[in-house]
Amino acid sequence: MAAISLLNPKAEVARAAQALSVNISAAKGIQDVMKTNLGPRGTMKMLVSGAGDIKITKDGNVLLHEMQIQHPTASLIARASTAQDDMTGDGTTSTVLVIGELLKQADSYIADGLHPRLITEGFDKARAKTLEVLESIKIPIEINKEGLLDVATTSLRTKVHHNLADVLADVCVEAILAIRRDDKPVDLHMVELMEMQHKTATDTQLVKGLVMDHGARHPDMPKRLENAYILTCNVSMEYEKSEVNSGFFYKTAEEREKLVAAEREFIEQRVKKVIELKKKLCTGNGKNFVVINQKGIDPMSLDMLAKEGIMALRRAKRRNMERLALACGGIALNHFDDIQESQLGFAGLVYEHVLGENKYTFVEECKNPQSVTILMKGPNKHTLTQIKDAVRDGLRACNNAIEDKALIPGAGAFEITAYKALTAFKDTVKGKSRLGVAAYAEALLVIPKVLATNSGFDAQDTIVKLQEESRLSDVPVGLDLASGEPIIPKDNGIFDNYIVKKQIINSCSVIASNLLLVDEIMRAGMSSLKG
Amino acid sequence: MNTREILTLQFGHYSNFVGSHWWNVQELGFEYNTNTDNPSEINHDVFYREGQTNKREVTYTPRLLLTDLKGSLKSLPQQGYLYDPPVDPNKFETCWHSEVAIEEEEKIAKNEYQKEIDNPAEPKIEYNLEDSVDVWSDFLYARFHPRTVNVINEYQHESEETPFNIFPVGQKLWETDYFKEDYADKIRSNVEECDNFQGFQILLDANDAFGGLAMSCMEYICDEYENKSIFALPLIPSYYKDYSYTTEEESRKSGVNDQMRLINLGLCYNMLIENSSVFVPLSTSGVGWKTSSQPRSFNHVNYKPESWYHSSAILASALDTFTLKYRLKNTCYSLSDFAVDLTPYGRKATAASICLPFSLNTGGYLIDCLDNWEGPLTQSITPNCTIGSSRLMQLYTLRGVGANQLKKPSSVAGKQLDMPAYRCNTIDEMLSMYLAYTCHASASNVTSVSKGLQVKKPFPDIFDKRVGRNGNIIADDRNPDMSVQSVPIMTGLHSGSEIGNMIESLHTAMNNIKIARFQQYASAGLEKDEYNECLAKLFDFRELYDDNYVL
Repeated sequence: MAAISLLNPKAEVARAAQALSVNISAAKGIQDVMKTNLGPRGTMKMLVSGAGDIKITKDGNVLLHEMQIQHPTASLIARASTAQDDMTGDGTTSTVLVIGELLKQADSYIADGLHPRLITEGFDKARAKTLEVLESIKIPIEINKEGLLDVATTSLRTKVHHNLADVLADVCVEAILAIRRDDKPVDLHMVELMEMQHKTATDTQLVKGLVMDHGARHPDMPKRLENAYILTCNVSMEYEKSEVNSGFFYKTAEEREKLVAAEREFIEQRVKKVIELKKKLCTGNGKNFVVINQKGIDPMSLDMLAKEGIMALRRAKRRNMERLALACGGIALNHFDDIQESQLGFAGLVYEHVLGENKYTFVEECKNPQSVTILMKGPNKHTLTQIKDAVRDGLRACNNAIEDKALIPGAGAFEITAYKALTAFKDTVKGKSRLGVAAYAEALLVIPKVLATNSGFDAQDTIVKLQEESRLSDVPVGLDLASGEPIIPKDNGIFDNYIVKKQIINSCSVIASNLLLVDEIMRAGMSSLKG
Repeated sequence: MNTREILTLQFGHYSNFVGSHWWNVQELGFEYNTNTDNPSEINHDVFYREGQTNKREVTYTPRLLLTDLKGSLKSLPQQGYLYDPPVDPNKFETCWHSEVAIEEEEKIAKNEYQKEIDNPAEPKIEYNLEDSVDVWSDFLYARFHPRTVNVINEYQHESEETPFNIFPVGQKLWETDYFKEDYADKIRSNVEECDNFQGFQILLDANDAFGGLAMSCMEYICDEYENKSIFALPLIPSYYKDYSYTTEEESRKSGVNDQMRLINLGLCYNMLIENSSVFVPLSTSGVGWKTSSQPRSFNHVNYKPESWYHSSAILASALDTFTLKYRLKNTCYSLSDFAVDLTPYGRKATAASICLPFSLNTGGYLIDCLDNWEGPLTQSITPNCTIGSSRLMQLYTLRGVGANQLKKPSSVAGKQLDMPAYRCNTIDEMLSMYLAYTCHASASNVTSVSKGLQVKKPFPDIFDKRVGRNGNIIADDRNPDMSVQSVPIMTGLHSGSEIGNMIESLHTAMNNIKIARFQQYASAGLEKDEYNECLAKLFDFRELYDDNYVL
């Protein structure tokens, strides 16, 4: 009898073999759901809610978020996979598949009487060896457009249609290269992602500047300005009541208006300072002036600015303040006390685009922009969501490649190579833990197998072909999904991120080992305050 | 006078029930005929925005962001109906070359009421809305902007496995990247389009994790929109499913849930004191945090306390009435004035009361009605709080009593002429006079609107038979075929020493809880010291209400 049941007779307990089988079946279950989505030939899933809301995706992470996972083991695996996404932005489906397969392989050995502890020891040795293999096959890259384009394309093709993937990969790489400075780490927040429900997905483009989802709120303000100074600031230009102890019992509308006028004076001074500067800088030289404020600007201030031909935007995103400074120079001001030309940014073109009730303001033709915008277009909301998820992953893939300064051959090549290395390594391992190594090697093959199945080829046939080819070849061999024949991924430009694979190897081994070593599952909770 | 816009935020399922009723009664009260003799006294632009769809159709939707859990919308699509037509998944054109696996949940049919809204021309089928209300979208008449509805995908509505009932869990959810960024951006877009934005109204479920979510959001708002007022309305549902237990086991569970709800409530009040400009807890239940607490009863109202559909309607009618104060066309009274006036000495917690319907006899006059009135005018709807009658700052709103119901014309006045109140010429004046005589050492302010509260369908039929079609009390029973169309209603907001007792009893109840026993809180990041600090702060807050410090 489990010890807990002495203490809490209501606890539900599953023990030893039963506990293991619960875990394994959960892992298999979640694996089955995700299996069909792996790789560029995997199927899309369209999730339709009861009210008709649609979500289309192929991204393992998105799917895991959408599915309500109730089983504790499955949600543990799902969490590992989400962690994978948080770390690297890719490889979520692979994580789920590998964990499931590791448990499946281990299961057959355990059924033969092998103790789970020995298997996990084997897993641990195999993991160390696999990491060695990973180090040995990584390909150092130059950080330039060609180098990054391949990995971005590979990652994106597993998420959206080929044509779109190529467009997006190009956009992502350009964006990353634009904001990257020397050897400093890239801050992905400096790429703004803007959605526009308009045209089609392949019209998605990179804007070397900033796009904001709001416009000037005054009918007389210019809609298009060339050669414009950009003043970014965080200074309130709206009347706000400052007195604290009002008291509504004895205030007439007239008295109130008087008070307002006095208070407004203060705000007006601020606006006048901006106008003064504009007059000083832009008279007679064809230059213009744009104010972008994080705080509010009320109609009276807008009116004053409009009269001077100044375009003014209010309530800009906090993050856009930083982006604007990077895109067109200048600094975000917190007061107008000592306002100078050197604090302003500059853009060649600022214009407004209206779409239904939404306005967009484009700040373009910046000199040397260090912050850019990816303008995502699509005919409807779910297409936009899909593009957004894909673009995020594409950017991460590029960024990973920059940080690793290396790539791994894709198309299952790494798994095949690791399998070959592990089978050789197995013979050098003493004792029963070598069976764990064997199980690990088999489990890795799940990736090429599923890739083959999803493309309509026989898994066994393909694996045999690949293994033969791999034995003869010195360079890693992968699977051509179009023909089902072995190829050299490096020559075909199919690459994966180093960090993604490394993370998969580490997290899968740990989670699988943990699940294998569980010999008791119980559900107990406090059901009363006395108990 | 310029419109000074307000943005409303709703957090939680019960808040959305109240909110849905609220938007419904407002929209049923819209006057589309602009050249009538008495145009609406209410400036709807304060709460509503005009928009345009991509097809250039004009829309008029609430300035509102609401949040609920996955699965709580039932037949309502997240994007709403106005902007994007629903997509048929079977005719969908995919931009993917291989097949698309469709995972379709069972389609949820709309109830008869929703179908009727969609096709008003079709012959009406008899149905009972009461029975078909399960979630708030079932009786929602208002239509929302696509960005209004936010769904939390991590937690399923009414899930036993992963309930959303721990305050710090809500706080954590706010901190997740995608939620905060997305939500903050929606707030920003809403505020950006307002010319004279004045502040926020926040409706929140105070005793589950939504409280935590709302409080974190409020902290953010304080930080990002300083100088804007925040009027918070913590709501406490009248009833929970676990109240109707049958076994001893279930009864114990309900007790545990009660204690957790109490902890959440306390943590929530604690943050409200800090971040809100003024807050008014609302509930139709007497105590607010005990299974055994008695539901409040109201004159001429038969409602089922266990029905959220009913109890939320009562709260919504109060809400719609006392917010009139700052959204009438002829007023320059702002939300910040409202907050300042109701919170003397930093007493941010305020009590609300209601008289629904304001019982005026058919053909009777206000002057007689007040003359014969016994007891307080209104009845508290703030849980565990009585109103008291002296040393109050109070704000009354009466709607639905017209100028012709004030007093008899002098030619036929008869006995009324002898009453001192007869010299009052407006409703405001007369009520103020009444209040000056009945409430000792108090400051009262009265607002009145002649048009009553619209209680047509989908408002529940909760009035008893003595309430007539126009809401006045009739001598004989109402014809059963007739339903009540509108009612007069009076609400009050009161700040006085009695509220201190509410805080004190909350403090005492929380003090008796051993927080260490609730390991869920510890694992969600709430430390024991924090809890004790919260208790200490509530205790300090209580002292603000002691009258010996003032007057």
